[in-house]
Amino acid sequence: MMAGENSRLSTAAVLAAALVSALVSVPSAAAEGDAAAGAKKIQMCQGCHGIPGFRTAYPDVYHVPRLGGQSPAYIVAALKAYKAGDRNHPTMRGIAASLSDQDMADLAAYYSGAGK
Amino acid sequence: MKAFFFANPFSLSSLLAGVLGAAALAASLPANAGGNAAAGEKKAETCAACHGPGGAKPATPDYPVLAGQHADYLRQALTAYQKGKRKNAIMSGMAAPLSKQDIADLAAYFASQKSLTDKY
Repeated sequence: MMAGENSRLSTAAVLAAALVSALVSVPSAAAEGDAAAGAKKIQMCQGCHGIPGFRTAYPDVYHVPRLGGQSPAYIVAALKAYKAGDRNHPTMRGIAASLSDQDMADLAAYYSGAGK
Repeated sequence: MKAFFFANPFSLSSLLAGVLGAAALAASLPANAGGNAAAGEKKAETCAACHGPGGAKPATPDYPVLAGQHADYLRQALTAYQKGKRKNAIMSGMAAPLSKQDIADLAAYFASQKSLTDKY
């Protein structure tokens, strides 16, 4: 009887542990970025972010942001905000709309690496 | 010949005025457009809670590094949060009470710090 209770308890513990690990592993799986893969996806970015001192001319004139050394999770969050319409820059909305979550993570990994 | 003599100085001076005016405008545009980095440093204490000292070490990777960002881009971003053109629960609230001068000062301060680099 004691043994049965223990095994029921341990079954419950294993199930609980499995549930917790399943829940915990979801966010980290979504955020894996590959800088080398990102380097192959920057063609669309380079028209503006790849030109030293470039200023966007529409709808307002200002320097496009520096990306080197930026927080990777922030880059992903910004791209998702453009895609969702929470940021309104027309060019960035169009570009972000074409990116998958994996593309965003890869680009974030590339640009967050400091240096040229 | 006489007409040329009178017309020429006039057009020269207006041309000169135009060139000088354009040069003055161009000179005032890029740098910090009225922002004072020292004043911005005093106004940046609130920002440091999330963006880190000098905007260089964000508390979580979800928040951007501000140190070394272009001043005019930072002004654009803060103004966009203020006007609701960027939607972010935290930054909308932070940007709401800022004056144009506050925004210019903060932008000048963070732009003067070092962290972000050009990456092409």
